[in-house]
Amino acid sequence: MKYILTILLLTGCFDVSNAQQKKAVSFEKKMLKIPAGNYKPFFVTKSNKPIKVAAFKMDESAVTNTEFLLFVTANPEWRKSKVNRLFADSNYLRDWESDLIIGGKNINIYNSPVVHVSWFAAQAYCKWKNKRLPTVAEWELAGNAAPKNIKYTSLTEYILGWYKKPNLPVLPNIKTTYQNVYGLYDMHGLIWEWTFNFNSFISSGDSRGNTEDELKAFCAAGSINVVDKTDYAGFLRFSYRGSLKGNYCIANLGFRCAKTIE
Amino acid sequence: MKHVKQGLSHLILLCSISIVLSCNNNSGNSAVENKLDTVLTGTVTAELTDAPAVPKPLNYTSPKKVTVQLDVIEKVMKISDSTEYTFWTFGGHVPGKFIRVRQGDLVDFTLHNMPDSKLSHNIDLHAVTGPGGGADATATAPGQSSHFQFRALNPGLFVYHCATGPVGMHIANGMYGLILVEPQSGMAKVDKEYYIMQGDFYTKGKFEAPGLQDFDMDKAIAEHPDYVLFNGRVRSTTGKNALTANVGETVRLYVGNGGPNLVSSFHVIGEIFNKVYMESGSEINRNVQTTLIPAGGSTMVEMKMEVPGVYNLVDHAIFRAFNKGALAQIKVSGDENPAVFQKLK
Repeated sequence: MKYILTILLLTGCFDVSNAQQKKAVSFEKKMLKIPAGNYKPFFVTKSNKPIKVAAFKMDESAVTNTEFLLFVTANPEWRKSKVNRLFADSNYLRDWESDLIIGGKNINIYNSPVVHVSWFAAQAYCKWKNKRLPTVAEWELAGNAAPKNIKYTSLTEYILGWYKKPNLPVLPNIKTTYQNVYGLYDMHGLIWEWTFNFNSFISSGDSRGNTEDELKAFCAAGSINVVDKTDYAGFLRFSYRGSLKGNYCIANLGFRCAKTIE
Repeated sequence: MKHVKQGLSHLILLCSISIVLSCNNNSGNSAVENKLDTVLTGTVTAELTDAPAVPKPLNYTSPKKVTVQLDVIEKVMKISDSTEYTFWTFGGHVPGKFIRVRQGDLVDFTLHNMPDSKLSHNIDLHAVTGPGGGADATATAPGQSSHFQFRALNPGLFVYHCATGPVGMHIANGMYGLILVEPQSGMAKVDKEYYIMQGDFYTKGKFEAPGLQDFDMDKAIAEHPDYVLFNGRVRSTTGKNALTANVGETVRLYVGNGGPNLVSSFHVIGEIFNKVYMESGSEINRNVQTTLIPAGGSTMVEMKMEVPGVYNLVDHAIFRAFNKGALAQIKVSGDENPAVFQKLK
């Protein structure tokens, strides 16, 4: 029912061809099995030890604007005008024209990752789908897998390349960067992604050793880097996550869902 | 009556002694406490300038609340004529905005990270007394602002920089600037004031290789910079962009070194510093040819320009000046001064 409603909304509002949109909304998002593994943080402390990660399922790509539109259509409390400010700051769905209209001028982002969404909204979306956000360990394990369809010298170089590139005027569609060996699209190079326990590390803003974790992270950043450059980009992700709050809605920050394998 | 008077004066003497003693017991603290008791006399917004400009000397003589807002902007700019680089900046330029406050001021500081930034940033101001120099209070995600206050307790010229991990990378991309805390008596008046800041840069390509150049982490860790620059660009301050002064004028340079790695051997070819505020502290050295500026440190130098001409400012680790870009200029105009210098046929 909600799909039909949305398609009606889309076709009602725009005279553009919505074939692609219909295609996008008529399929459940494909989930891929990520095999069990050992997530080894780029530094190790008492509270930040290597973690065994059980096999789990992960969305093959980030949640798109069109997919998120279905969510807010079905869940009025997550519409722009109704959302509780405690759960999403004033930038929530900033680019959308209104509650249920992404907007004619935004035609190019229907199939782009939804951004300007809070942790609470992302978690609510996943719950609605009977899923959840991936943990940091799950996300990192999945994200560190090697690309399989692009030429690259190292994943770190690839990631740093994204950091240095100014934002494009329009956020590209999903599945436009690379696919990794698990089959996941765009784990790096398109957006940042929310994780379930994003703020479990570096609770203070200074990353130079105010806590044991930070001290280790700070020292490790230089020394370990020589051995494994991938970890250096990991450090940037940890710094980024450490500055977030659950209600923040940010231009480059979206999400994908995960699911425990029963 | 006389005895009473004597007794009273003894008592007063005793009291004074005990006050003096109690002051001596915590001499450092009481001076600070006295300062902190002073009522703030209004609120001002700090004038912020891009290098080589320096904000006007402060014209107030009692502590104020000073509002400062810095924007973090990640942007591609020219590092040389045909080479571009993605800089991370405090205010859109390298170095960041020059901030000028007065000792005793309460600085109300807001750091705003632009919405289209890719990364989180924060700020550590060496002028701050407090955890992380402010870094602790300012971890700021893209599109967000953070806010804290600090008291400018110590006078001097202080470096500020981003301290988000990996710290070296944030600094290497240009995230530093200077904050001047004028002593309560103010800075002595001079004719010209300028802002210069040195920094070392690490790129995939060699010096002046054309195009958009990536940051090179290996070179940064090895401390092998491709560029050593004043004010973030090759030829930022030469030719038509040179600093200017007239014969007879005293020029004061506020010089910082953002690093991340190199120490600067700061020298002006053809001049001798009349005064060097050593490491921007309270000691003044005189008649200095070359002064060291630590990475994450600064100096204030003054020189009277006696003879017209073009004077080159260099890092006298001299390959940096002629092969890596560490060269700026002051153009001095005016009448020749043969009593000091003349070229003979």
